[in-house]
Amino acid sequence: MNKTPYAELLSMLSRHRGVVGSFVVSERDGLSIDSNVQIGVQADAVAALAASLHRKARLACGAAGCGTVTFLRLDAERGGICAAGRDDLVLVTISEARANIGLLRVEMMRAARALT
Amino acid sequence: MADEIRRLSDDLARDPSSLVFLPLADALRRAGQLDIALRVALRGLDRHPYLADAHDVLARIHADRGDVERAADEWEMALRLDPSHAQASLGLGFVDFRRGDFESAERRLSSSAADGQNPAVAAALAHVRFARGSQAANVGNTASNGVRANGAHTMVAEAMPAEVSMPSPPDAIVSRRPAEPSVSSDVRAPSTTAPFAIREYPAPDPTRARQLFVPALEGPDQTALLVDADGLVLAGSYQDATGHDVADIVAAELAGVSSEAERAMRHLGLGAWTSLLVEADAAVVAMTPAPLGSLLVVAASRQTPVGLVRLLLDRALGRARDWLARVS
Repeated sequence: MNKTPYAELLSMLSRHRGVVGSFVVSERDGLSIDSNVQIGVQADAVAALAASLHRKARLACGAAGCGTVTFLRLDAERGGICAAGRDDLVLVTISEARANIGLLRVEMMRAARALT
Repeated sequence: MADEIRRLSDDLARDPSSLVFLPLADALRRAGQLDIALRVALRGLDRHPYLADAHDVLARIHADRGDVERAADEWEMALRLDPSHAQASLGLGFVDFRRGDFESAERRLSSSAADGQNPAVAAALAHVRFARGSQAANVGNTASNGVRANGAHTMVAEAMPAEVSMPSPPDAIVSRRPAEPSVSSDVRAPSTTAPFAIREYPAPDPTRARQLFVPALEGPDQTALLVDADGLVLAGSYQDATGHDVADIVAAELAGVSSEAERAMRHLGLGAWTSLLVEADAAVVAMTPAPLGSLLVVAASRQTPVGLVRLLLDRALGRARDWLARVS
């Protein structure tokens, strides 16, 4: 199977402590373009929801004059989702509570700038 | 008084964005035209939501209307905006006094009287201390003489009547306070009616709803908004950089965020979602689920530390919960 241009990037993100999956998703239709997830993670459904959340945040920030969304983080009791987008592409990671979000955030924002 | 009100009204009509609404609202209040005073004050607050004096004048109007809880809210807002606001501190001292919390009243009045410049505040403080003494003397006596114990409270309630509504609290204290409490007042039977009525479930007031989160925020570069599950604004406001209120459109764009976050977390088995933090070029926006399926949104300038934004979110959530419990 051919590798996508994002395979290396997703592999690198998935090696972070506590990260159980990462993927690149199209914000417009919520379809996953590439993913690197542990077995059992419902990547497609989560990808679509993460893309939708990113889209809503982008539109709300646009309406409020806050400018471009650079990073999004959804926290839950035992982990969460991080997202960083560029144009139509959104880089998403799923992490457990033990993940180092600060480090992940820096890596994701850097990686998102290179998304094309 | 009528001339003064007319003159101030003319001034305000000429320049609606001026601060003339402050003396006008206060003059109307002193003239007993409380409904008009309230309208003028609320309209002024719409334009100057972060002006401590505006909250102070609104507090006095509420106090005159017998709504001491709202008066206390407004004085607290004034103090948050300007911690050195002496009138607000004094007003809260009177509220504490009326609630029978003499210790807190003494503390507030003591801080106001610390500079020794205002003899009226000193007189009020002396009265509070006297009342505290009466209260202490009645401890242990209550079981055998309930009339006396309650009588002391009645005396306090009647000693501080509508003067929470005052041109300035110290003036009122001087004019309304009896020089010495009489024995007869001390043994008066307890009043069967409360000195002021607090409506348990007040009707939502649109202007108050817009300012619900002001006390929880730290400055004008922060804003908070409560949105229902359909993307409609419940309370708070959201102003863009140009000062326009964009609450409705922001709320509409955020419709469904709560349910999508919940679904995403359910798919992942990570438990209930607790917060959503969005970093943008010019702002940090934090959201959290609130009661009745609503969504609370707090935004701050990009310079605000992210940790502080989360703290503000917690504070605002407390107010949202209280408010929803009252109005729902």
